[in-house]
Amino acid sequence: MIDTLMLIDDENLFHLVFEDACSLLDMALSIEALDSSDEADKKFKEWFPDDPDHERPECVFVDLNIIGSSYDGIEMIRKINTEYGNGCVIGIISSSQDVEEIEKAKAVGAQFWIIKSDDIEPRLEEFKEDYEGYVNKTNLFKIYK
Amino acid sequence: MVEITEHTRNVLLEVAKKKKIYVEGNFLKILKAPDGDEEFKEYLKLCKEKDTANRRKRLDITKQVQNQNKELEIAAKENDRVNKQLSKALDEASSSAEEARLAEQEANKAKAEAEKLRDDAMEDLDSLQKRTQFELMGLIVKVALWVILGVGLLTTGLYLYVLSTGADAKIIESTWSNLFGILLTNSFSIIGTIMGVKYASDKQ
Repeated sequence: MIDTLMLIDDENLFHLVFEDACSLLDMALSIEALDSSDEADKKFKEWFPDDPDHERPECVFVDLNIIGSSYDGIEMIRKINTEYGNGCVIGIISSSQDVEEIEKAKAVGAQFWIIKSDDIEPRLEEFKEDYEGYVNKTNLFKIYK
Repeated sequence: MVEITEHTRNVLLEVAKKKKIYVEGNFLKILKAPDGDEEFKEYLKLCKEKDTANRRKRLDITKQVQNQNKELEIAAKENDRVNKQLSKALDEASSSAEEARLAEQEANKAKAEAEKLRDDAMEDLDSLQKRTQFELMGLIVKVALWVILGVGLLTTGLYLYVLSTGADAKIIESTWSNLFGILLTNSFSIIGTIMGVKYASDKQ
């Protein structure tokens, strides 16, 4: 089970769906849901470089288009991976299946891409099974459709 | 995992029994029943069942709301699209009305021009008719005057010839006198008729 999981998504209703789905799947002990990449950026800045391991979430799910934020999910992943020391399993959760965007996400170090839809639980369950592979960096980039 | 003290265990069981309040949320996932404590294991199992049921219920409702929101967003987009179409149609109708108004103005202008042309043509026709009448009258006057002049000259010549030859001039004398009188009368009659016609035409 993941100890700390962060979701960055502008849709507050999806926060509830995600939290409940994760709880039902026993996927994470604690979930922090943020609705903007600026807020996430601020938190990661605080954690790094003074104490990069402290409070840092184990896994981060980022929405592709975070409305009302300074930058999108791909830029957020790039910042976390290059400016804030990496150190967490990170990927995109989006309703988009745009191949170009998926390639961009891969290029900045996203480890997975989960298609967001009404029936999110089976994808999260599959992700949960693969999770250790992402932690160990043995899994290749995967799209959960 | 967190293993709780006996006091806490008893309080939790008591609260559940008397007040039907159960531990819920992610905290449940880190609680562990002491080995052999079947009662607390059952309690934790019940707590998890209740928590799962509540989560499932909330998840279903949230999904429903999410779907309704999506439908509302689609409806709003459709509404916006229809509004834009209506606005466009309204603009087109206004533009058509303006075009129709301009066309009407053009038609009225063309009509006025056509009427003016018709009036001009009528006037021209009238002038032509009058000119033709005047020409005809002039011709009649000319012919009549020439006839009068010719007959007068002829009679006068004949009369002078008779006078110069010394022949009996009684018949020719009275004839010349009568003929001259008739001719003068007729010529004035013709001129009077023509003047009358001309006056009547001018009045019309």
